[in-house]
Amino acid sequence: MPSIVPTLEWLEGLAWTTAIRESVWGYPIILTAHVASIVAFAGLIIVMDLRLFGVAFPDVPRTQIQRRLFPWQMAAFVPSTATGLLLCCIDPLRYYGNVIFRVKLVLLALAGLNALVFHLKTYPMAGQWDDDPRLRGTVRLGGGLSLLLWSAIIVSGRLTATNWFN
Amino acid sequence: MFEPFFEWCEGLAMSQVYRESLWLFAVTQALHLVAIATFVGAILIVDLRLLGWGLIGQSRAAIARNAQRILFWAGLAVLATGIPQFTANALTYYRSPIFVFKMWLLVAAVVFTATLRRRVAAAEEGRMPSWVPRAVGAASFALWMAVAISGRLITYY
Repeated sequence: MPSIVPTLEWLEGLAWTTAIRESVWGYPIILTAHVASIVAFAGLIIVMDLRLFGVAFPDVPRTQIQRRLFPWQMAAFVPSTATGLLLCCIDPLRYYGNVIFRVKLVLLALAGLNALVFHLKTYPMAGQWDDDPRLRGTVRLGGGLSLLLWSAIIVSGRLTATNWFN
Repeated sequence: MFEPFFEWCEGLAMSQVYRESLWLFAVTQALHLVAIATFVGAILIVDLRLLGWGLIGQSRAAIARNAQRILFWAGLAVLATGIPQFTANALTYYRSPIFVFKMWLLVAAVVFTATLRRRVAAAEEGRMPSWVPRAVGAASFALWMAVAISGRLITYY
């Protein structure tokens, strides 16, 4: 299997990634923007999951939470992802070698999969959520899984700053 | 003026445990972030509603009331994970301009949320000009995001 390392080395050697990496404020500014947008993005996800799970916002029907807040979730997803990718471009080899960062990528893939299943299978049946007890269990499971995954993603993102397990 | 208090914090047994542990501080920091995200999520949903967006199917008062429980528990978790970080290196924070700035900003955000924002959110709809809840929602979002951002910047200054 061809290694990804030469590509990452090429990325790291580019003039613009080098310039940002070596500037005093470039990295802190992008990292802070990443954390700020993640807090908004993950915050919305967590509260929506708490509702799907059934422990928050009892006055708002589950279907409404999803329909009305999803656009805002996506609005926060864009800067989170853009700044995250930018961070990867600036220091690719460091992240590549970081064990906790790899765990974070796996968790992100799982969270993405969970969201995809929810959107394709569970959400189209939103009309029956409240009547069908089995479906209600599925909705709770989706929300609970997402809650655990996103909490773990935040934790692993923060701990990427350490070099544990390397 | 507050220096003896900061010294006392740093001298606590818990602070020493935190300083000597190789992982406790980092793990607490990570959990602090999860708690902050949850707290900001509940703030954001109410702010969006005040701005006339998001959960417009329910009244502002209902959304604010429902958010209370998350704000309370997440706020408690933010404090429980924030305070040991602070006491562990209290004297360093005493000299950090960004930390001091964050604390004043936090006081402002809490006071604003507990007074003006709470009243405006609970008020009967249509009793005040529509720009009032909008302005309050925007101010709340700006304040809380500023608290979070200045927290992140403590590392640098």
